[in-house]
Parts: sequence; structure tokens; C-alpha cells
Amino acid sequence: MTTEPSPRSPSGTREPSPPEDSTGTRAQRSPGDSGRLREARPTGHSPGPGTTPPPVLQVAGLRVRYGLGRRRRTALDGVSLDVARGETVGVIGETGSGKSTLARAILGLVRADAGTIAIGGEDVGGHNRRRWRALRRRGVVQYVFQDPLRSLDPDLTIEDSLTEPLLVQGVPRQEAAARARTFLDRVRLTEELLGRLPGELSGGQRQRVAVARALVTEPRLVILDEPVSALDSANRVQILEILKELRSDGVALVFISHDLGSVAGIADRIAVLHQGELVETGTARDVIQRPRHPYTRLLVSSAPTLHGAPAERAERAALRALLHV
Amino acid sequence: MVRRVLALTTGRIAVAILTLVALLAVLGPLLAPQDPLATSDTMLAAASGDHWLGTDYLGRDVFSRLLDGSRVSVLGSLEVALTALLVGAVPGILSVYLGRGFEWITLRLADTLVALPFLLFAVAVIALLGNGITQAMLVTGVLVSPLFYRVARAATLAVARSPYVEAALISGASLGWVVRRHVWVKVLPPIAVALAQTIGVGFVIVSSLTFLGIGVQPPAPTWGGLLASDLGYLSHRPWAPLTPALLIMVTVWGSNLLADAIRDVSGEAGRALVNQRRARANRPDKADPAPAGGTR
Repeated sequence: MTTEPSPRSPSGTREPSPPEDSTGTRAQRSPGDSGRLREARPTGHSPGPGTTPPPVLQVAGLRVRYGLGRRRRTALDGVSLDVARGETVGVIGETGSGKSTLARAILGLVRADAGTIAIGGEDVGGHNRRRWRALRRRGVVQYVFQDPLRSLDPDLTIEDSLTEPLLVQGVPRQEAAARARTFLDRVRLTEELLGRLPGELSGGQRQRVAVARALVTEPRLVILDEPVSALDSANRVQILEILKELRSDGVALVFISHDLGSVAGIADRIAVLHQGELVETGTARDVIQRPRHPYTRLLVSSAPTLHGAPAERAERAALRALLHV
Repeated sequence: MVRRVLALTTGRIAVAILTLVALLAVLGPLLAPQDPLATSDTMLAAASGDHWLGTDYLGRDVFSRLLDGSRVSVLGSLEVALTALLVGAVPGILSVYLGRGFEWITLRLADTLVALPFLLFAVAVIALLGNGITQAMLVTGVLVSPLFYRVARAATLAVARSPYVEAALISGASLGWVVRRHVWVKVLPPIAVALAQTIGVGFVIVSSLTFLGIGVQPPAPTWGGLLASDLGYLSHRPWAPLTPALLIMVTVWGSNLLADAIRDVSGEAGRALVNQRRARANRPDKADPAPAGGTR
């Protein structure tokens, strides 16, 4: 729950006390919901009494650069971010700010130039291909893509797509199918969809299938890259509800979005990425009500639904001018 | 896949034709009524009771030669196609996944093969390996393989970076898993088309090599060889090249039909096509089931 202040972030973003949605208080808040996932999960995963489990995700001083020579560009620089168990962190930033790069670096799809990434206490920085595969097969971290149309193989039925992560783990086909079925309810899908192809589903259904596929391995951390950007508002609300249930089940979420509005309602903490650097982190309430960095202020003032009336155009222009200097 | 191909009319026709050709290849030499190599005094004769398709310029029975040559012809072109598939398509798929080094080497090898003059290379390899149908077909297969390499590589590249492949990788899938489950289905249709085309080209290659004395040795008959020798006597028997030409054409047509059928039924569109037909057959009142529902 510590976040190292990046060079541009103002001091004082560090949280002295754990946020209200930390691991301890979650079970009391909604015992009915949390039971469902907990039952299926081996007891070794739940935090034992007295011991403080390591954060699900620790990122420190992460730097990722693309290209070579003169065309080299820095996508991420000095990004540090911790995600505690069951915590939901919203990562906000505009296009090109490095949001997706951050997700891909955590998942091992992009190699980091500097910094460390630890998943569940395991440092993955020096992992070769084989060790990454072993880590991924445990299903601790899962990912939901932005585009629900292309993230499902058009030639595989929904059942095939849902069972794939389990089959990769070596779960027998019958058992994998049975386990996949139990997750349909959570994402509000019916069993009759299992035999269909992705092309025969609506965008919202497809995205819920993608969420269900990420859940079948019972991950402790799910990274969602713009999960609602491609959806209409009704489906957006539905996905957000599913994510809230997940959060109360103790799954840590990293919710990546360009839209402060969709993150505000679900995130415990918000991290703001601007041009590859983490400019501000804090509890969701703090960031929205008392934004410190000019970029965050611009974001908040550009989202009218969040903060009363939209700010004056002149004020926003002034903030933009400040950012470009 | 097999059942879906057979659900299409074109698929059934293709399979029927190719089965006939395969039977001809297996049983042809046994069915030949006369010795395909025996010469006689009746040269360039017209069709008669003794010689159903007449005789050639050495008085040999054309019908027997056609039947006897079918095995070599079919096996030869199959050998070409399978060699090309193995040498071309497999590295084509793997070139996308096995890293820059493998990619660079195989790409340059493919370029080199394209640049080599075909006949010269064939003659050189025959000189090294000895003359024979197998050597000739292997050489031809290797020379045709860049087509398969390119086609397989292009189809693989189209899906290699797709989110569903990345999703599989994030779940810990191995390279083999990704290729088997996601890539192969997308690569198969274009490869099938290339394969059918190569089988057709194979017949022509077998005959042109025969003409040069490479591969099948002169007295032994092949379809392409018959066509070539008949063409020299067009003024005497203008109808003679028709039969071997028709046989080659029908075989090529059959394999093209099969390739088309495979392309039609594979992938999303193909499955939808077959499902639609089945649905229409089962429920004539509801011809087009609307894909919807599932929300609560």
C-alpha cells in the first residue's frame, strides 16, 4: 500500500493509514458475496492469521522503452505501484500515456528496461520464457482485453474459449467444462451460449465472456485494459457491477481507463499516468476531490458528472498550457 | 472437419472424384488388359475392340498405358505436394514464433529457392542423388515449397499478434498449444488451396521431367508422358491427347473442389454456413435462427 512518489508527483500522496477497502474489512462488508469464490479457492491462498501477506503486485521504478537508437521512445519511466490483496486500483491516463504498456509489462508481454515487478511476492524481472509459463499456468494473474470482438478466437465456441485457461493448466476436459459453467452465473450469461461462436454474441456478451475467461483460474489479480470503453452504457454498467462483485470477493483489480468517470465508482485508489510517469496517486476520493497535479485537475474538470458543473473553459486552457510547458 | 466437408455438395463431388483417382492409382496397373510396354505392328491405330483407345506410334495399347501410368502419376504429384507442404508450411508457421534468427534464415532460404532455375537445379540434384522418380519428386517438392512457406507465414502473421493468442499465452499456453488450437485452423484453408494447385502442377512437372529423361524413364508410361507423345502425332490422331488431358484435368479439378470445400467450411463463416443448413433442414418454418438472447 505504499507508493513511491515519482519525481513529478507532489509530496503527500502517500497514504498513512490503510484505505477503507483493505483486506481486513472486506469480509465483513459483504459476507454473502465473498463466500462464492472463497469456497472454490484452496485455503492456502487466504491470508493466515498473524502473517501479513505480500502485496499481490509490486512495481518499483519500472522503465520501458520502445525502439532503438534515435527512434527510441520512453513509454514508462520510474513507475512504482503496489496493489494489495483485494484492492482495486484505477490507472488513468490519456492515449499514449503508457497505460497499456504498464499492463503488458506486468504480464510479461513487454520487457522492462529497469525496475522490478513482483507478483505475489515473486520477482518476475529475470524470468525466462519457461518460468513465465509456469507462473502464468498457476492462473494468479489474468487479463481482460479492451476489444471484446478480437479477444475471443472466432473459430472456437464460447465453451472452448472459457475452458482454455484450465485446459492449459492440465485440468481434464470434463472438469474444465464443469468449472467454466459455474462462472457463467457470475457474469450473467446463460448456458445456451456455450455452444455459440463469438460472432453470434453481442459486444456486451462477448466482453462478459472475456471477463469469465479471466476468472476461471480464480486469479488473485485481474488487469482490465479499458474493459468498458467499447461498450454502450447499459453493458458498461453491467460490467462495472460484475467488477464490484469481484472486488468484494477479494480479487485485486487493476482497472485501466482513460475515463475517470468509469473508474471513480469502483476504485479504492487512483493512479494517474501522464506521459509515461505516475504523476499522482491517492485514494479515489482524494484524487477526485483534491487533485494536486495539473493533469489530474484537468481530468477532473473535464468530467462534469464527477464534480458539479464543468469548470470554465479558460481554466481548462490554463491547465493545458501549464502541462505543455 | 471431414463431416463438414461432406455436408457440402461440392465436397461430396470432390471426394468422389478423388476416390476414383485413388482407386485408379491403386488398381490401374492390375486392370491393364494388355502389356503396356509391348509393341505391335499396328501403329497409330484408331480405337477398336482390341485397342479401346487405339495404339501409339510404337503400336502400344494406349488404354493399358493410361491405366498402368496412373499409379506413378498420382503418387508422383502427391509426393511433390506433400514434400512442399512439409518443407514449406511447417517452417512458414514456425518462422513467426521461433525468433528473429530462424525467421531470417528461412526467409533467405525461400528467396534462394525461388531464384534457382528449376530445371538446372533438378538436373544438378539428380546428378548428385541418382536418377529416379523419388529423387525427382523430392527436388520438385523442395522447389515448390516457397509457395507454402509464404502462404503459411502470411496466414500465421495475421493471427500471431491477435488478442486471443495473447490471451492464451497469458494463461500459460505453450507454442505448440497456440499453433494447434488457434493458428492451424486459420492456416489450413489457404494451404489447402495451395496444395490442390500443387497437385495439379505436379502432373505437368512429372511429364516435363519425363520429357527430359529425369524421373520416370521413357518406356514406363505416365499421364503427362502420354500427353507429350500424343501431341507429336496430332495430324494422325487428333483426338488422342484428349483422354490423358481429361484425366489430368478431372483430377486437378477434384483437388481444387476439395480445397474450396475445405476453405468454405473452415473458420467462422464455414461453421455458420453448415449450421444454417442444418437448422433449415430441421426447422423449415424458421429458416434463419436469430443469434440473440442470453441476457438476464
